[in-house]
Amino acid sequence: MTILERVERARRALRTAVMAAAALRGLAAALALLLFAATLDAFVSLPTGARRLVPVVAAAVAVAIFARRVRRYGMRADARSAALWIESRFPSLRYALVTAVDPRYAGHVPELERQAAQVEFEPAVQTASRRAVRTPALAVAVFAGVLLLLPSGAVARVVAPSPGDALSRARLGARANPLEAVVARVTPPAYAALRGESFDNPASVRALVGSAITIEGRTGDGDVTATLAEQNSTSTSAGDRWRVTLVMPAAPAAVRLRAASHERLLVLEPVLDSAPVVLLTLPARDSILRKATGKIRLAATATDDYGLASGGFELIVSSGNGENFTFKTHTIGAATFASRAGELATTLSLDSLALQPGDMIHLRAVARDRNNVTGPGVGASDTRTLRIARADEYDSVDVDPAPPPEAEKNALSQRMLLMLAQALEAKRAKISHAVLVGESRSIALDQTRLRKRVGEIVFTRLGEDTGEEGNALEKRLDQPVSIDSVLAAADRAASAATGTALEGDRDETPLIATNKPLLIAYNAMWSASSELEIGEPGKAIPWMKKALDALQRARSAERIYLRGKTRAVVVDIDRVRLQGKDKGTPSARVARPMADPSRLKRVARFDAALLLIKSAPSAAVDSLLILRLDLIDRDVAAAKALETAANALRGGRDAHAATEALIRARRALATEPAAAAALSAWSTSP
Amino acid sequence: MSEAMGDFTFCTVQYDSGDWDSAPLVPANLIDSVARYTSISVTPTGVTVPLGSSQLFKYPLAYLTGHLPVRFSELERRNLREYCDRGGMLFVDDHNHDIDGVFHKSATEELGRAIAPLKELPNSHALFSSFFTFDDGPPATTHELNGWGDNLVHKHLLAVLHGDRISVLYSSKDYSSEWGYHPDNKRFLSVDNTKFGVNIVVYALTR
Repeated sequence: MTILERVERARRALRTAVMAAAALRGLAAALALLLFAATLDAFVSLPTGARRLVPVVAAAVAVAIFARRVRRYGMRADARSAALWIESRFPSLRYALVTAVDPRYAGHVPELERQAAQVEFEPAVQTASRRAVRTPALAVAVFAGVLLLLPSGAVARVVAPSPGDALSRARLGARANPLEAVVARVTPPAYAALRGESFDNPASVRALVGSAITIEGRTGDGDVTATLAEQNSTSTSAGDRWRVTLVMPAAPAAVRLRAASHERLLVLEPVLDSAPVVLLTLPARDSILRKATGKIRLAATATDDYGLASGGFELIVSSGNGENFTFKTHTIGAATFASRAGELATTLSLDSLALQPGDMIHLRAVARDRNNVTGPGVGASDTRTLRIARADEYDSVDVDPAPPPEAEKNALSQRMLLMLAQALEAKRAKISHAVLVGESRSIALDQTRLRKRVGEIVFTRLGEDTGEEGNALEKRLDQPVSIDSVLAAADRAASAATGTALEGDRDETPLIATNKPLLIAYNAMWSASSELEIGEPGKAIPWMKKALDALQRARSAERIYLRGKTRAVVVDIDRVRLQGKDKGTPSARVARPMADPSRLKRVARFDAALLLIKSAPSAAVDSLLILRLDLIDRDVAAAKALETAANALRGGRDAHAATEALIRARRALATEPAAAAALSAWSTSP
Repeated sequence: MSEAMGDFTFCTVQYDSGDWDSAPLVPANLIDSVARYTSISVTPTGVTVPLGSSQLFKYPLAYLTGHLPVRFSELERRNLREYCDRGGMLFVDDHNHDIDGVFHKSATEELGRAIAPLKELPNSHALFSSFFTFDDGPPATTHELNGWGDNLVHKHLLAVLHGDRISVLYSSKDYSSEWGYHPDNKRFLSVDNTKFGVNIVVYALTR
C-alpha cells in the first residue's frame, strides 16, 4: 500500500467519525429538547398547538447542528488536510508526509515516501475517531434512557400529540381529583360512516344524536358517577383509568360528573340528522290535462347529510266530485341508494291509472335516509297536481290574476278595438281588399268575444242561469236582444223576488239603470261585428263608438263616491323654510326596556357566575355551562362565547385571555349599549 | 291678515254640482311647495270660495277639480267669465284622469260655454319655465304611467288664452291625485312631484 493510499484511508475514517459525531450531537440535542418539553408538560399542561411544534423544532435543531458540524469539520477534507492532521500528531515526520501526498511530488521522491512509511499513524486515527463519537453517543444514550423511563403517554404527548391524550400526561404527586382531566371520545353511529373524535377537557361535546360518548379520566378520590337526565351511570375502572359511556340525547343536556367531593359539568350538544332534501324536477309545474292518456316523465334529485337509503314517487289519485271522493295511492320508480346524493326517474303512464275527467293526481318524490338510530328521516318534494279537465270547463282553465272589474275591462277593450278599426279604415286605400277583409275579420272576432263577455255580465245580473243550463244563454248571446223585453222580464223578476219595487231614479229601477247601457252596448257591438265580418270597418266605427259610449254610461252608473269633510291642513311656513324656532320640547330621555326581557335574566345569571370566580372557580365554570345549555338553541353566538369563557376559566393559565373571553361573553349576552337620538328624526312635534 | 299684507292665498273653487272637495290635501301641499322653493309670501292655509261669489276676485289663482259631472249655474258661469277677464287664472284638473269620464266631458263643455273652447297648450309655453323648467311639457303622473283611468299619457295640457296669458288651464293628468297627500309626507319622495304646481302659482302671480 502506498503512503498516499494510507493517508486516503485515514481521511475516510476521520470523515466518517466527524459525520457520526455530528449526527449524534444533533440527535442528542433533539432528545434533550423532547425531554425538556415532556418534563415541562408534566408540570404545566402544554396546549396541543405548542406540543405539535415540539417534534418539528427538535428535528430542525438536530438537522442544524448536524449541518453545522459537518460543514465545519470535514466535508471538504482532502488527503493533504488529512496528512497535516497526522503531521500535527507525529512531528518527527517533518512534513515528509505532506510532501509525499502532494500531487507534484507523489511517487517521484522515494526518500520521502520511505521516511513517511516508517510512521504507524493508523492507531492514532482510530483513537481519535472513537473519542470524537464517544461523548455525543453518551449524551444520546442518557437522554434516550431518561425518555424511556418516563411514562410512554407523556412522551407520546410531545412526540405525536393527538386529541384525547390529556390523560397521558405525566401525573405528579399522589392520586387526587379524578375529574381534573377528562377526555370525551365520540363514536358516531355506524350509518353515518364518520370517524371517531376525541376531545381533551371539553366544556361541551358536539356529536350526532345516538353517538356513543365515552368519558374517561384517571382514577382518584372516589368512584365517578355520571348523571344525565336524572339517570345515574357508574364508571368502570381499568388500570388507572375510569370510564363511563353515554348516548348522545336528542336535546341538549348537561352531564354532571361526581366523584367524592368533586364535581364537573359537561354539556352534550346533539347534532340532528336532517331529513333528505328532495327536489322534484319533472313535471316542472301543475297542469290541467285535456285527456288522461300518454306518458309523463318524472324526475327528482335527493340529497342527505349522511346518506340516502331509498326513494321513489308517491301518487295520490282522487276521483269523484261533490262529497263523494275516492283516493288511491301508488308508489312508482322505487330506488335504493348508497351515497349522499341520488336521482330518481321513471315514467308515469296515465292510461294505467284509468283516469276520468275531473280526477286529480297528486304527485311527489320521497326519499329516506340511512338513519337507523333515530330515523329513518323521510324527505318529500313539493307536490305537483295534475288534473284532468272536464269537458265543460275548457274555457275557464286560464285564470287571470287580479283581473280588473268586468265593466272597466270591457271599456278599455272596446276603445282598443275602436282604435284598431279606425287605423284600419285610415289605411284602407293602401292595402289590398284581401288584407282589409282579413284584418277586419280579426277585429270582428275580438268584437264578438267582447260582446259575449258583456252579454254574460248582463244576463247573469238579470237572473239568467249560466250554470248547468248555459245553453239558453249561449243561444241568446248569438243574436241581438230586445232591450225592453229583457229589462221588463228582469224587473218583474226582481220585484217578485223582493216583494216591492226597487228604489230608483224616475221610473227606472237601479237594475234597469245599470243594465240598460250594457244592453245598448251589446246590440251596438253585434252590429259592429256584423259590419267587420264583411270587411267594412268604416261602417262598423259608428256602432263601435255607440258601444263605447254605452259602456261609459254603465261605468258611471255603477260608480259610488263617498263624501266627507276632511280636516284642513295648516302649513307651518316658517318650519318649511327652516326659519322658525323650535317651540316644542324634546321628549324625555328614558331608558328603554330591552327588546328581549329574558336577556336581563341571562345577564343576571352571568353576573352571579362572575361573583363565584374568586371563591369557587369550578362552580363559576359550571354556572356558565348551565347558562350555555339554556342558550344553545336560542342564541348561538352567546352560547359559543360562554363556551369559550368557560374553557378559558377552566384552563386558568392566562388571566388576561379569560377576562377577554368573559367580556365577549357578556357583550354577546347583553346587547351593546346604543345611544338614543335626543329628538326623533321625523316627528313634527314630540 | 294675509290678504292685507298681500300674501298669496291658495283658493279652491266650490261649485254647486259635483264633488268640488275631492282633493282636500292639494292646497296644503302646493302651499308647502311655494314656501319651500320660493320667497313668495304665502298664507299657511288655503281658502274655499264659491264660484258664484265676488270673493273669487281676491285670488289670482283658483283651483277646480272633481270626479262628477260639472254643471255651472248661470251666476257661476258669469262670475267665472268676469274672473278670467279681470286677470284671474283658473286651474282645472280632472280627478278621474279619463278623457271619456263625465268630469272631462262636462267640464270642457262648460268651460267652452263660459269662457272659450280649450286648446292644446304648446309644451314650449312660458308656463313650463316660469320657475322650474319642464322641457318635455307637463310632468307625467304616476296614475298615467300605471295605466289607470283612460290608460293614456297626456302629452299636452289644455288652455284658454287671453292674449298670451293663460286664463283657464285644464289638465287631464289627474294632478289632484298626484298631489293629494299630506305635505309632511313629501320627505318620502326622492323627487318632489309638486314642482309643477309651483310653476302654476308663479305663472299666475307674474302674468
